[in-house]
Amino acid sequence: MADVKMVNLTIEGRGVSVPDGTSILEAAKLAGVLVPHYCYHPGLPVAGVCRMCLVEVEKAPKLAPSCATAVVEGQVVHVHSPKALEARKGVLEMLLINHPLDCPICDQAGECELQDYTYQEGRAEGRYRDPKRFNPVEDFGGDVMYVANRCILCTRCVRFMDDIAHDPVLAVVERGDRALIGKFEGEDLTHAWAGNVIDLCPVGALLSKDSLNKARAWELDRAASVCPNCSQGCNMIVETRDNQVMRLRPRPNADVNEFFMCDHGRLNYRWMNRADRVDTPMVRQNGVLARADWEVALRAAAALLGGKRAFVLASPNLSNEALFLLGKLVAKTGGAGAFRVNQGQEAPLPGVKDLALRADRAANVRGAELAGFTRSDAPLSGMMAGDVLIVADEELDGVDATDAARAGAVIVVGTTLPGWARHGANVVLPIANCVEEDGTFTNLRGRVQRFFQAKAAPGLARPSFFAIGDLLASVGDGAGYWTASQTFDALAAAHTEFAGMSYDTLALKGAPTAGAMTEASA
Amino acid sequence: MAIGVKVVSRPIDEVSYVRATLGGMKRTLRHVFEEKVTTQYPEEKESISKRWRGTHRMHTTEDGKAKCVGCGLCPSVCPANCIKLVTGEDEQGNRYPLVFEIDEFRCIFCGYCQEVCPEEAIHLGRHYENAEYSREGFVYDLERLMAQTHPVCEMWDPADPKGE
Repeated sequence: MADVKMVNLTIEGRGVSVPDGTSILEAAKLAGVLVPHYCYHPGLPVAGVCRMCLVEVEKAPKLAPSCATAVVEGQVVHVHSPKALEARKGVLEMLLINHPLDCPICDQAGECELQDYTYQEGRAEGRYRDPKRFNPVEDFGGDVMYVANRCILCTRCVRFMDDIAHDPVLAVVERGDRALIGKFEGEDLTHAWAGNVIDLCPVGALLSKDSLNKARAWELDRAASVCPNCSQGCNMIVETRDNQVMRLRPRPNADVNEFFMCDHGRLNYRWMNRADRVDTPMVRQNGVLARADWEVALRAAAALLGGKRAFVLASPNLSNEALFLLGKLVAKTGGAGAFRVNQGQEAPLPGVKDLALRADRAANVRGAELAGFTRSDAPLSGMMAGDVLIVADEELDGVDATDAARAGAVIVVGTTLPGWARHGANVVLPIANCVEEDGTFTNLRGRVQRFFQAKAAPGLARPSFFAIGDLLASVGDGAGYWTASQTFDALAAAHTEFAGMSYDTLALKGAPTAGAMTEASA
Repeated sequence: MAIGVKVVSRPIDEVSYVRATLGGMKRTLRHVFEEKVTTQYPEEKESISKRWRGTHRMHTTEDGKAKCVGCGLCPSVCPANCIKLVTGEDEQGNRYPLVFEIDEFRCIFCGYCQEVCPEEAIHLGRHYENAEYSREGFVYDLERLMAQTHPVCEMWDPADPKGE
């Protein structure tokens, strides 16, 4: 790679050194100064239409839009000088001329950039006395609703649909103060990634119909996570209130999803709040599945496993940690393991390299393969008569029940208790789902990424690595899997692909496995 | 053996209780003929300040619905955490409170909820007769808050908004 020329400049009295061609706004971010902006977004082409990012550059004749001005050697930039503040105050007053003051009923309130910047830099009172412009609310199709009155015409949504989604259905229509965002006749925002315009919108003009009026932004608790709905592994934020997942939002990660997340992932969260979860361990006694203590259930499971081969049917939505321990269980008993993957339509986002809603609709397909499980459409075919079948978070939809009946005994380690298990399972161990525990997923390019607990698991359910670790200990294969981090350390020590990794080195952005680079280039 | 007791002789007109008793009766009798100060509660009631902060009342629109739009500011600002708000969406797609409960036991009657309300929906009442037969009765639900008819607190004097 050619040497990039570095440019030195001063922003608000702080010296920074940035590559040539960087905008002042990005350089200011590095200097720790946030220049207020609306139309600029790091994932979109620069437009320079909002005039909010005006800054004063010494020796320049007039204020410069910092998003569209490249840095120059020796430049001295003032972001908070009186002249710049006065200009931005004027911009805010203009934006608020037609912006309704309906924050109490607006879903964006609390995370609205217009609110934030007006509070920081705007006038305390408006001077405009005439009636405000009015336009009706429009349904944009998909999950998107457009409240034209609140729109500040930053055109982020238009640029996203044009340049990132390559599905140009939005445009600015009308002119002057009547301008608003319009959608072409007969077109809808039905692109698989169109929901991103909701996050991109800095104000409450584009809203999600799904989360409309459900929660206020400041009531939500947030946890960093990884989307479990396909093998792409987009980074996301899980937002919960009262132990219920309210919405999912993308979390920026330049190596995976940049700033985006598909609608399938975004809206497919209701299963995380399922009410029909299994919340206590159960053991079959006298032909009836009865509630039991964890100790009793683990002892019963160990007794079933004693000296038998374990056949593990795993879910590719389990964490690397849980799959690693299941793999150890398979190795310990000389059994085998398999998994199957639900398929869907692949939907790429053309503007971002190697980003798509993948056909494999499970988070940890690669992780399951690395843990030694065989991918199969007939997952139970490898099971031998008399094996102990361990069903790990699989509902067995569409699997022939007679296949399962060949098993000597059935242990269910799962979040739910499917219908067949009520008469087919011998022991049930309840586990937490992926937003209720810590863990890691390996995405289809071999990137290992952490997810964090966002809500509490129901009843006596335990994190999957903890429950399986206990099961492993009860058949006499060591212990010490008390935390997700310990379990991952054991995985890193045992598996060359994960060598040298730990929760600290993975941090929030993840890291590729040892074999990942060669695969991507091949 | 005689003990040495010192006998002090005082003039009777100085130490007699009769004079003090008569003085006390004179004062008592004077009050009988003076203006009475007792308020005959509950037949009579004292007037209370316009800024009295008592139990809450929810204002309603002309068509009898609560003015509340469920913005969530009052539960956020409440220092006693006594407001429970769960919002929903009505047939017109407007946000409204599905559940709006105020625990009047926890409430410290600071008036922040009234002050923060952008719709002028929730108010503190100029009202102090709050007795209930059960503790549960002190958790006022939306129906109860809307049914209250007592006058509401004026947080400041409109003629003198800055309190000068």
